[in-house]
Amino acid sequence: MVHGDFHARISRRGFLAGAAGMLLADRLFGAPDTAATKPNPELEKLAAVALAEAKKQGASYCDIRINRYRDQFSGWRFSPQRGSNQTDEVPFVTDNQSFGFGVRVIAKGQWGFASSPEVNPTEIARITREAVGVAKANSGFQASPVKLAPVGKYIDRWATPHEKDPFAVSVEEKLDLLHGAATTIKKNPKVMTAFGFLGFHSEDKYFASSEGSSIQQYVIQVYPNLGAVAVDFQKGVSRSRSYQVAPQARGWEYVPIMNFGENAKRIADEVVEHLAAPPVTAGKKDLVLLPSHLCLTIHESIGHSTELDRALGYEANYAGTSFLTTDKMGKFRVGSELMNIFGDRTSELALSTVKYDDDGVKTTRFPIIEKGIFTHYQTIRDQAHLVGETESRGCCYADSWASVPFQRMPNVWLAPSDKPVTLDELIAGVDDGVLIEGTGSYSIDQQRYNFQFGGDAFWEIKGGKKGNMISRVAYQSRTPDFWQALDGVAGSAYWQQYGLPNDGKGEPMQTNAMSHGCAPSRFRQINVIVTD
Amino acid sequence: MLSKQEAQKLAEKVMSFAKLPECRVFVTSSENVFIRFANNGITTSGYQVSHTVGIASTTEDKRSGNASVTELTDDALRRGVEQAEMLAKISKPSPEDMPPLGPQKYPEIANFDSGTAEARGENMIGHVKAIIDEARSRKLTAAGFVQRGASWTAVANKAGLFGYHPHTDASLSNTMRNSGGTSSGWATQVSTTIKDLNGAAAAKISADKCVRGENKQRLEPGKYTVILEPAAVSDLIGFISFFGRSAEQGQSWLSKKGGKPGETLLGEKVFPEYITLRSDPFNPKLTAAPWGPGLLPHEKVTWIENGVVKNLFYDRFWAQKAGKKPTAGSGSLVLEGQDHTLADLIKSADKAILVTRLWYMRILQPQTLQVTGTTRDGVFLVEKGEITQPLMNFRWNESPVRVLQNTKMLAQPVVTQGAETGASLAPALMATDFNFASISDAV
Repeated sequence: MVHGDFHARISRRGFLAGAAGMLLADRLFGAPDTAATKPNPELEKLAAVALAEAKKQGASYCDIRINRYRDQFSGWRFSPQRGSNQTDEVPFVTDNQSFGFGVRVIAKGQWGFASSPEVNPTEIARITREAVGVAKANSGFQASPVKLAPVGKYIDRWATPHEKDPFAVSVEEKLDLLHGAATTIKKNPKVMTAFGFLGFHSEDKYFASSEGSSIQQYVIQVYPNLGAVAVDFQKGVSRSRSYQVAPQARGWEYVPIMNFGENAKRIADEVVEHLAAPPVTAGKKDLVLLPSHLCLTIHESIGHSTELDRALGYEANYAGTSFLTTDKMGKFRVGSELMNIFGDRTSELALSTVKYDDDGVKTTRFPIIEKGIFTHYQTIRDQAHLVGETESRGCCYADSWASVPFQRMPNVWLAPSDKPVTLDELIAGVDDGVLIEGTGSYSIDQQRYNFQFGGDAFWEIKGGKKGNMISRVAYQSRTPDFWQALDGVAGSAYWQQYGLPNDGKGEPMQTNAMSHGCAPSRFRQINVIVTD
Repeated sequence: MLSKQEAQKLAEKVMSFAKLPECRVFVTSSENVFIRFANNGITTSGYQVSHTVGIASTTEDKRSGNASVTELTDDALRRGVEQAEMLAKISKPSPEDMPPLGPQKYPEIANFDSGTAEARGENMIGHVKAIIDEARSRKLTAAGFVQRGASWTAVANKAGLFGYHPHTDASLSNTMRNSGGTSSGWATQVSTTIKDLNGAAAAKISADKCVRGENKQRLEPGKYTVILEPAAVSDLIGFISFFGRSAEQGQSWLSKKGGKPGETLLGEKVFPEYITLRSDPFNPKLTAAPWGPGLLPHEKVTWIENGVVKNLFYDRFWAQKAGKKPTAGSGSLVLEGQDHTLADLIKSADKAILVTRLWYMRILQPQTLQVTGTTRDGVFLVEKGEITQPLMNFRWNESPVRVLQNTKMLAQPVVTQGAETGASLAPALMATDFNFASISDAV
C-alpha cells in the first residue's frame, strides 16, 4: 500500500487553490447534448492517465469514472403558526453539486479502489497508485481471484431522452407551481400541513476502462411529491395523504403532465376522509394493489431476493442474504403462473435506465421470473461465472464518484396480463378485501421472506365493489406465499411505472434509484392486521 | 486534514464573495478507509477523500437559498455563492427565518484520535484476519466491515460566528453463518478510536452465537418478556423523537391524547423512575460536533429523568414562539442503566426471549410510536434463568415508548450501534409484553 502525507497535500492544495477560468466540471461535461455521439476528448485524456498508471503498477484491469452530480430541490411547507389558525408559508431551495473521480483496479487478482475530488492528471496518477496498493495489500485475504465476464468495447455518448433540461428552468417557475399546489391543499380548513416538492437529479458520468471503452452519459431524474396532514386532537391521531407522482427519468416536459392542480384538491379531500376513516377489521382478505403501491412490494420481495450478491453471501453482514439460493435457479416456484418479472435497464422513463452500466456493460432486459419460476439473477461482470453465465446482466452501479461500483437493482417490473383485464374486473372478483394505493410503512427480513407493508390510502372492497376509505391497514406475508396467491393482473392499458429513489445497500451504504412497473394485481387471502 | 487556520481562511474567502447581508458557510473535509469481506475473504476495499463547501445565503427580507460545491477553486466557490444568492433572491420570504447568530463559545469535544486519522488498511487487516481465522476454525463463514473515518468540519457566518471541529470514528461488525445457512451470529464495535476495535473478540461473540443458534425452534408469536441486547436497545431509543413542535401539533407520542392543540406530556411521569434518557454530546466515544443543526453550542439535555419527560426539542424559531430556551441538538443518546449485567438479566428471567439485534424498522403510527421490524442474528429462549434453545426470527410491532414503560431491569450502558440509527450508549434491558407478530423464516 502506498503511504505518505497524501491527504495533507491534497487537502491543502484543494482548499487553498485559486485557479482562474471556467469551472472544470462545466468544461468537461458541457451542456446536455443529446446529439453528440463521442465523449469529450478532454475526459478521455484524463482517463488515459489512470489506465497508463495502473498498467505501470502491474494491474490487470483498471477503470476510472469521472462524474458530476447535481441535485436541485425546491418546495414549500404550509403549516399553522403556533397557537393560531394563521398559516406560515415556508419555502426552501437548494442546489448541490458533487464532482470527482474514482479508480478501480484488479491487481494480484484482487479489487482495489480509491477516489478523490481533485480532478487533475497528477492526482489521477496518485489515486491510481493508491487503488493498486489497496488491491495488492488485500490480495492475501481473498476467497478466490476476481474473474470478469467478457465485455464489448464501446466508444459512445448517451443521454436520458428529454425535451427540456429541468435545470435550465427557473427556480421561480418551480416555486410558483408548488406554491399553487400547496395553496390548493391548505384551502381545505381541516388540513393542518401541506407540502409541495420538486427534486431534480442529474448524473454526468464518464467511464473508461483498460478494455478499451470510453463512455459518456447524462442521466436526469425528476422527483415530484405533494403531501397533506390532518390531525384529530380529541382522538389523538393524525393521518397523511400524498400525491405520489411517479418519479421518472425525463425532462421538464413531465411537469405539466403531473396535473398538480386537480390532484392537490383530491388529496386535501382524501386526507380528511382518511382521518375519519374506520380501522380495517383484521383477518385474511383479498388485496387489490395499485401500481403506486405494488411497486414497493415488487422491489422488496422480488427485486432484492434476486440480487446475486445477496444470494452469494456478499451482503450477509448488512443488507442480508436471499431465500433464493443458487440451487433454486431455474426451478423454484416463487409465484403463480401469472407472475412474469423482468430486470430491465433499457425501459423508457425508468430511473435505472442507462445505455451502459458502471462496468461498461451495455444494458439489457432479461427475465427474472417466468410463469412463476425463478430463472435469472441480477448480475455484474465479476459474478456471472458464479452461476454459470457468460455475460453480465449490466446491473453495476455506484452512487458517487467516491463509491465502489457493485451489483445494484435494475428496473424490475411485473408484466401485465396478455388479456385486456380491467381494474374493475379485478375488484368485482373480491367479496371481502382492500384496495391499496401508494406506499406507506414497509419492512422485510434480511432474506426477503417475511414482510409487512402499509400504504398511503386504503378502500374497503365489499361484494365486488370499491367502498369507503378505511385506515390502519398493513398486511403481512411470506414472499412465495404472497406471490403464489396472485390470481389476477390487469392488462397493459393499466401498466404504470413507479420509482424509488433511496434504496440502500452495501458498506459503506450506497443509494440507488430504480423503477418498478406493474398493472393493478389481485392477491387472495392475505393476512391483514390493524396497526395501532 | 484541514487545520483551523485553513478552515477559517477558506470560510472567509467564501464570505468575501457574498453580496447579500447573510452568508453561512459549512466546510467538511473527510477521509475514510475501509475493508469489506464476505465468504471468508476480502471483497472490496477503498480509500476515499472528499470535501464539500455548503453555502446558505439570506436576503434582508428573509429569502434564503442554499448551494454546495466540491470544486474549491476561487471561481467554483464564487459560483457557489452566486448560486445560493440567486436562489435566495428568487425564493420568497420565510416567516420562520431567524436572525444570524453572532460569535458563539463552542465547547471543546475530545473525539479526535490522531492514530485513527492516520490508520490505513494495514491497521485494520489484522482484525479481518482474526475474524476469518475464527470462522475457519469453527467451520463458519464470515462477512463483515471494518472502517475508520476522520472529518474536519467548520462553520462560519458574516455575523462573526466561527466554529471548527475535527473528529474520528471507527467501527467493526461481523456476521458468521454456518455451512447449512441455518444459523447466524453478529457482533459490532463502534468508537471514536480504532484502538477500541478488537476483531478477535467480535469474532468470538458472533461465532458463539452462530453455533449456539443451530437447530432453531419455532415459538408461536405473541406477547413475551424480552431481553434486548444493547444494539437492539440503541435502535429503539433512536426512534424516540422529542420535537416540541410536532408534540404541540398533535403528531407525536408526546402529544396529549384528548388534549387541546399545544398540550404535551412535558413534565409528566410517563416511564418507571429508573428510566433516564439524555443526550450527551461530550461523551468522548460518540462523534458529536460542538454545535447542533441550528449552530447553537451543544449542551447535555435530559429528555427523560427518573421517568418524567423533562425537555422537548425546540429549534430557535419555535422556542421564540413558545417562550422556551432553544435546544442545540438531540443526538448522542445515553440511556442510563442499573447495576446489573446481561447475565443478571438472563438469570432473573422466568421466561423471556433474548434478542441480539433488530432490523428494518419503520414507524407505523406517530402518536403511539408503534414501529415494525424483525429480529436478526441470534434469538434465544430463556427459561428459569438459563438460555435453553435458539428460536426462529420474528416480525414485531411494538412502540419504543411502551418498551421503556414496560422495562423492569437494565444492565450498564455500553457504546453500541444497531442497523437503523446512530451510535449511542445503551444498556441491555428486560421488558414485559413485547409484541412479536409473526415468525420469519429468515436466517
